[in-house]
Amino acid sequence: MRIKILVRLKGQILEPQGKVIEQSLNSLGFTEFSNIRQGKLIELDLPDNISKEEKVQKIDSACKKLLVNDIIEEYEVLG
Amino acid sequence: MSFKSAVITFPGSNCDRDALCYLNDLTKGEVHNIWHEETSLPKVDLVILPGGFSFGDYLRSGAMASKSKIIHEIVKHANDNRYLLGICNGFQILTEIGLLEGALIRNKKLKFLGKNCFIKKKFKNNFNLSIKDNQILQIPVAHNEGNFYCDTETLNLLKNNEQIAFEYCKGEFSNTEENINGSIEAIAGITNKKKNVLGMMPHPERAYSDFHQSQDGRLIIESLIS
Amino acid sequence: MNEDLILQHGLTLDEFKVIRKYLNRDLSIEELGIFSAMWNEHCCYKTSKKWLKKLPTDNEIVIQGPGENAGVIDLQDNDGIAFKIESHNHPSYIEPFNGSATGVGGILRDIFTMGARPIATLDSIRFGLIETEKTKYLLNGVVNGIGHYGNCIGIPNIGGECEFESTYDFNNLVNAMAVGHVQKDKIFYSKPKSIGGLIVYIGSKTGKDGIHGASMASDVFSEEDEDEKRPSVQVGDPFMEKLLMEGCLELMSSGLIESMQDMGAAGITSSSVEMASKGNVGVCINLDKVPLRQPLSAYEILLSESQERMLAVIDKKNNHKVREILQKWQIDYEVIGEITDTKRVVFESNNKKVVDLPVEIIVDDAPEYDREFYIPRKRKNKDFDFSKIKLEDMINNLLTNLNYLDKSWVFDQYDSTVMGDTIREPGQSSGIVKIHGTQKVIGASTDCNPLYIRINPYEGMKYTVAESYRNLIACNINPLAITNNLNFASPLDPNIMGELVLSIHGLKTAAIKFNTPIVSGNVSLYNQTNEIPIKPTPVIGMVGSNMDLNKINTNKFCEIGNKILILGKQLTKNFSPYLLQDQKITFNICEFNDLEVLDLDFEKKIANCVLELSDLKCIMSCNDISRGGIFSALLKMQYKDMGFKVKVPDPIDLFCEYSAGYVIEIRSKDFEEVTSFLTKKGAEYLEIGEVIKEGIEINSKKFDYFDIMNKYRNDFEKIIS
Repeated sequence: MRIKILVRLKGQILEPQGKVIEQSLNSLGFTEFSNIRQGKLIELDLPDNISKEEKVQKIDSACKKLLVNDIIEEYEVLG
Repeated sequence: MSFKSAVITFPGSNCDRDALCYLNDLTKGEVHNIWHEETSLPKVDLVILPGGFSFGDYLRSGAMASKSKIIHEIVKHANDNRYLLGICNGFQILTEIGLLEGALIRNKKLKFLGKNCFIKKKFKNNFNLSIKDNQILQIPVAHNEGNFYCDTETLNLLKNNEQIAFEYCKGEFSNTEENINGSIEAIAGITNKKKNVLGMMPHPERAYSDFHQSQDGRLIIESLIS
Repeated sequence: MNEDLILQHGLTLDEFKVIRKYLNRDLSIEELGIFSAMWNEHCCYKTSKKWLKKLPTDNEIVIQGPGENAGVIDLQDNDGIAFKIESHNHPSYIEPFNGSATGVGGILRDIFTMGARPIATLDSIRFGLIETEKTKYLLNGVVNGIGHYGNCIGIPNIGGECEFESTYDFNNLVNAMAVGHVQKDKIFYSKPKSIGGLIVYIGSKTGKDGIHGASMASDVFSEEDEDEKRPSVQVGDPFMEKLLMEGCLELMSSGLIESMQDMGAAGITSSSVEMASKGNVGVCINLDKVPLRQPLSAYEILLSESQERMLAVIDKKNNHKVREILQKWQIDYEVIGEITDTKRVVFESNNKKVVDLPVEIIVDDAPEYDREFYIPRKRKNKDFDFSKIKLEDMINNLLTNLNYLDKSWVFDQYDSTVMGDTIREPGQSSGIVKIHGTQKVIGASTDCNPLYIRINPYEGMKYTVAESYRNLIACNINPLAITNNLNFASPLDPNIMGELVLSIHGLKTAAIKFNTPIVSGNVSLYNQTNEIPIKPTPVIGMVGSNMDLNKINTNKFCEIGNKILILGKQLTKNFSPYLLQDQKITFNICEFNDLEVLDLDFEKKIANCVLELSDLKCIMSCNDISRGGIFSALLKMQYKDMGFKVKVPDPIDLFCEYSAGYVIEIRSKDFEEVTSFLTKKGAEYLEIGEVIKEGIEINSKKFDYFDIMNKYRNDFEKIIS
């Protein structure tokens, strides 16, 4: 099964990329867009026969060990 | 007693040779170069984690290197009260290992910064003993993610424990910046609580030889040796 | 074979006839692909070869001239210097970040393929007018791409140029130069040594990147094409390149490699054909063995331009050792074929020969054209009206023109001090690095004066070479050799062809006079969009040396109170093209006066004076005078809040261009010695003023130093944002 993990900077950390994207979009006429933040998406395959608990446990562990730096980042497993 | 040191090379390290020359020329002692897959570390006084783009800086700067085989030995070395210095990517690796607080995020202007910067010492430790208070050092920086971040609580701890080693400052002449990359409180380098581990973004190993633009980088090794 | 298919492959029907007749059989689609790649302008120089042959390429210090991945010169002892410049113009226009990044990657591979460790890069980049969003996007992308790749690998960027002109609106230029250090007895060539040697594939897996990129690089663009062409731009992985570089250098220093080729433009096709041709041997390669990133046809594998790949020949007995070293660096490695004695290029796929061609027809019989060219008409002399222009306007015109402003915004995005041997960083007249572990230094500079060359391709090219020469001389670097990157529009236009022919002729004249042979180079033609050609832009990369790093000059002011002298001969105001253009006297290219003939002997004479005075330690700082005249040269010399106070007969003299022009800063106590030396040598000089603290003063008129400096240093970023 395909797993998608969304990693983004924590809300309280200044995220200059989002700010720059927002300015550019606004200057292109997308003035209704605001609060833009940019994150990263990590996709990976896990075997289908893995149990739900094991899946959650494995992903959490991978995130804590490597994929996410919890000083600055947070993550969410999508779908 | 001669001063022994080592430099760790990760795939993608590109200041390892510079760090080796820096140690060779200034310590006059034994200097080892250790590949990241080694599982033992010779008994040395100082280990440098050099600058570069270990593992391509993919995922996060320093993230993959912090999981290398040698890291176990590095942590032991640090716990043994020996000196450990992370420069640039090495600083990023130290925060990823958790030996130092905080994290390094993208520069405020979202651009790589390769230029001379000016720093001065904040709190005294064994890495900056030979530097006078208010002495301004000129040392190059070269990084994309050098913007030091930590939460308020951690920042207070860093201050209370006097862990801030260096901060960015203006130079002697016009057109120099107070805080080149947007770091919290212009932090350029911090130590651990015991002050035997230092991480800094500027590259002292590019400012020591007679032909370099500045020789201020010598002061760090001189501090450790004295 | 279908005519459309032939034309789509960039071959003319006449060219196809030649192939068909030679082979006396039909071609496979893979074979057509091979000819498409190899008979392309980019690979076989079919338009320029006739003229390039006339260039001086040899002297007592040349170890390797054109024809290998890079030229190599002798720097005494066992030190050799490998260097080359190469363009990535079209790819950088389509996708600026990856296009420029892979340009840097390609030129670095050219260097380490020779067994040399890259020690410096330079970049000559040109864009259209900054007023368009497109130019801002291109500038940001290109600078970011160059920085990303070079910084990651850790090779210092020590200089180059960055110019803006409307002629590049739809054809920006990205020329990347690299310099490497090699031990003379450890140079590697593309020629394989033994029949039966294994052909091995080293590096990234092959994907669909850049299929037909080499033919794309020689296409005339039309504006709508951009999106369609996007997928064929290669994506670079500098981390992989760093591993590849360390892995290859380790293999070479361990003596495990016989020869090596970079799989650059036209990928495995070009590298294997070159190997066969250089060694006068054959190659037989099994395409099924090529490491792939995704399923690909034989045709696609042959033409893929995936980056960070090398082809090498090794002795069978070393196979295991080579694999071991590359495993340490986590690099893919596969034996894919062997060197044969057939003098044929054979590719197999699924147990079938998909290509079986004699090397001769691909390489030796490649077309060579003698295209028609026109010589520009003689220009009428014209006197321009300078009466309305005031000193303040002239200064203001420079400070509002990107081409004159400090370009730290660009250079600060590059790591210029990594490797710890950098002596002069970008922004000085030439970049300088030390040869590691010695006292020797290498200086390098890139230059081009497109406006001069547009006015008079022959004389203009002489001025361009002379400017590079002066850039090195100003630092007390002895000029040694040249690499060139000839960027032109379509040679099918006889006027453009004339620019190409005459500028090569000018290059030849200057290179002979300066004893600086051309040891490597690159040609980029068809730089035009919608019939609008770029100005001729043959970029020169000049390399020189000084055996003693303590003798080199700075370009920055040293001490308050020192005297400022001018050497050389001023071009009169009616004959200073950049003055006329940048002071907005005329924009009409037809109105410019012809260039004054550049006296190369005079250039040499003044240069020798500068070198001798530098060795005598009489020169505190020195800068060459180019576009923007003395004023611009002085602005570049400001340092640590030092400025200048000067007096000249007519303020406009400060903005005129020069032949053999240098600003030198000397101590008052050396004034006698310097001036009597110059007089003895018959070199005229002009004493114009002195270095002062925080001030700019011209003919007793005081200007606000910090205001001018603030604009000079910081307005570039404001204008381009």
